[in-house]
Amino acid sequence: MRRKRLGILSLISLVAVVVLSVGLSAGTSSAGTERAESGKRIFFLPKLIGVNVFTENGKSAKEAARALGETVTYNGPTEAVAAKQVPFIDSAARQGYNAIVISANDPNAVAPALKRAQQRGLKVISYDGDVRKDARTIFVSPPKASDIGAFQVEWLGAQIRYRGEIAILSATPTAANQNTWIKFMKQTLKKRKYRNMKLVKTAYGNDNPTDSAKETQALLRAYPNLKGIIAPTTVGISAAAQVLDQSRRCRRVALTGLGLPNQMRRYVKKGCARRFGLWNERDFGYLATYVASLVLDGKLTGKLGESFRAGRLGTRRVVTSDGNSPVVVLGKPLVFTRANIDKYNF
Amino acid sequence: MTRVLLRLVLRWETLLIVAIVGGGIWSATLSEFFFTRINLLDLATPYVFIGLLAFGLTFVVIAGEIDISVTSILAVSVVSFAQLLDHGVNVWLATAAGLGVAAALGLVNGLLVGVLNLPSLAVTLGTLAAFQGLAFVILSGEGVAEFPQRYLSIGGGYSKQELPHALVLLVAAAFVLGLLLHATRFGRYLFAIGSNREAAHLSGVPASRVRVTVFVISGLMAGIAGIAYVGFFGSARADAAQGSLLDVVTAVVLGGVNIFGGAGTMVGVFLALILVAVLRNGMQLANVGGDTQNIVIGVLLLAAIAAGNLGRAIQDGSISLARLGIRRRGVIRSDAKEAAIAMSVESQTPKGR
Repeated sequence: MRRKRLGILSLISLVAVVVLSVGLSAGTSSAGTERAESGKRIFFLPKLIGVNVFTENGKSAKEAARALGETVTYNGPTEAVAAKQVPFIDSAARQGYNAIVISANDPNAVAPALKRAQQRGLKVISYDGDVRKDARTIFVSPPKASDIGAFQVEWLGAQIRYRGEIAILSATPTAANQNTWIKFMKQTLKKRKYRNMKLVKTAYGNDNPTDSAKETQALLRAYPNLKGIIAPTTVGISAAAQVLDQSRRCRRVALTGLGLPNQMRRYVKKGCARRFGLWNERDFGYLATYVASLVLDGKLTGKLGESFRAGRLGTRRVVTSDGNSPVVVLGKPLVFTRANIDKYNF
Repeated sequence: MTRVLLRLVLRWETLLIVAIVGGGIWSATLSEFFFTRINLLDLATPYVFIGLLAFGLTFVVIAGEIDISVTSILAVSVVSFAQLLDHGVNVWLATAAGLGVAAALGLVNGLLVGVLNLPSLAVTLGTLAAFQGLAFVILSGEGVAEFPQRYLSIGGGYSKQELPHALVLLVAAAFVLGLLLHATRFGRYLFAIGSNREAAHLSGVPASRVRVTVFVISGLMAGIAGIAYVGFFGSARADAAQGSLLDVVTAVVLGGVNIFGGAGTMVGVFLALILVAVLRNGMQLANVGGDTQNIVIGVLLLAAIAAGNLGRAIQDGSISLARLGIRRRGVIRSDAKEAAIAMSVESQTPKGR
């Protein structure tokens, strides 16, 4: 009798040992801390880990930390869920970190935890995904919506000699960021330079590869004279590129929009989507970390018009968005072409 | 006497306590911040809504069914509450309405499973998606984030700045539901139905009614979990609790509840939740990567299922102990289901030894 149960017990304890050793040995597989002798400790919390874009943000955060003599820890949940970001916020506060840099999955759900952290003396900087205004000091934002809209019209215009029928392939009709960008695209199209470009249709691919591909095919059928497509969504642009590539229409129909270099690389090299863009994820984490460090040093308080030097990015300025909350803008959108795309890995 | 003592020592719940203590010691070596009073009191707070969902699910699983729609029920419940509040309804009336909606959705599951006799996995897979959609219909867009402080205090407040109200809620719920499960006739019916539904029905257990009731309990608990969720996170959105289903099922299975029904304790599920919270908290404080954390929890779950099945098969005497190098105990197979489990374990044991 005793021996049987000892068997079970030993099995369980064996498994427990395996579990614990896995945990210990692999402890820093994708998370990690950049140690510095002195300096402050900054916790860098992305929406989720294991995604190229955020990995790039994390790397550039550590690059900034090295330049500043601070310590950055990059860690987060494996799903883009606000409820799973909260334990990371609480544990960062308890470990005595000096600041948290966060891209939030839900601006409100992380706010109570961030306010608890602020009460313990931590500074909070949001980037990419903003949080409630009372739960952070400064928001480091992607390029301005007006720039994102205008640049995409220019990227397409340059490919089609500013002439012909064009269409927009968006995500969902309710996506706020998409609609803002489209509004600015329409404003830009009214300018003299773009007067010969005619927007014939705005289609919605629901940020789903299959739907986006179907909508692209429908556009090509319905508008045989279509000269170009703008897809301001990473899902949409790669689906459209695939359709154009497979139907051998890359030469006849130009494509631009917001895309990830890693997803678009082979299409760009084949001559599909010869010019598209995004913002520089490599700079994003760098700038947010710089802002955090300067706020900790008291050199940046978030007053309107305040300017500061952000390392290799040069001088930046604090502006305000709606509701008078302090914002630092990443910069202009970044364009990718065959010539520069291999320099980026996200 | 020693036998009784040994049996007590080798209970699943005892093993969980040992694991919690072990996990605690491990966590304390990982991080100096683990073993502080404020951390120990607060480490389970982010998982309270998971625990409340798991308590409700425990009833369903012991009755031999499954309910994977609980996270969607939580979402519908919180957005209904938020929408009513937004339209000027009194906060406690809105809370009651949110609980009512949750129980009603549970009733939908219950009627489909208990009365129409549809398989619960298929039914709740369907309602998982349907209720999620319903939540978006009720409240699309950014969600609601303005709530009265007194309401938030239930799930997010602290007594004397250090005792989380949510923890009190969790312990109280475990106690009340534990009584319902282990000290009432209704509870005994559950175990009977979960062990063998036909036999239970023949011996006069109102099987359909009880099976409907467990889904209502599960739904209602999702509503209560919603109160804890909104209190702690201060946000009601249609995607609330999305991505948490795995954690809920983990707590139930790790708690020693037989996934085939008929066995399990409320204390076990409570302890399993604490174990997961201790390990997650320890790893978090040591900045262990989120991916590695998932591996550790996943392996723990697998180990629990394997150990539980092996233990049951050995106790039943239906597994060939000679193969494991242990002497056989002369017990006759009592139950077809146990035999099936034993067979599945047997097929996993290496042959030809």
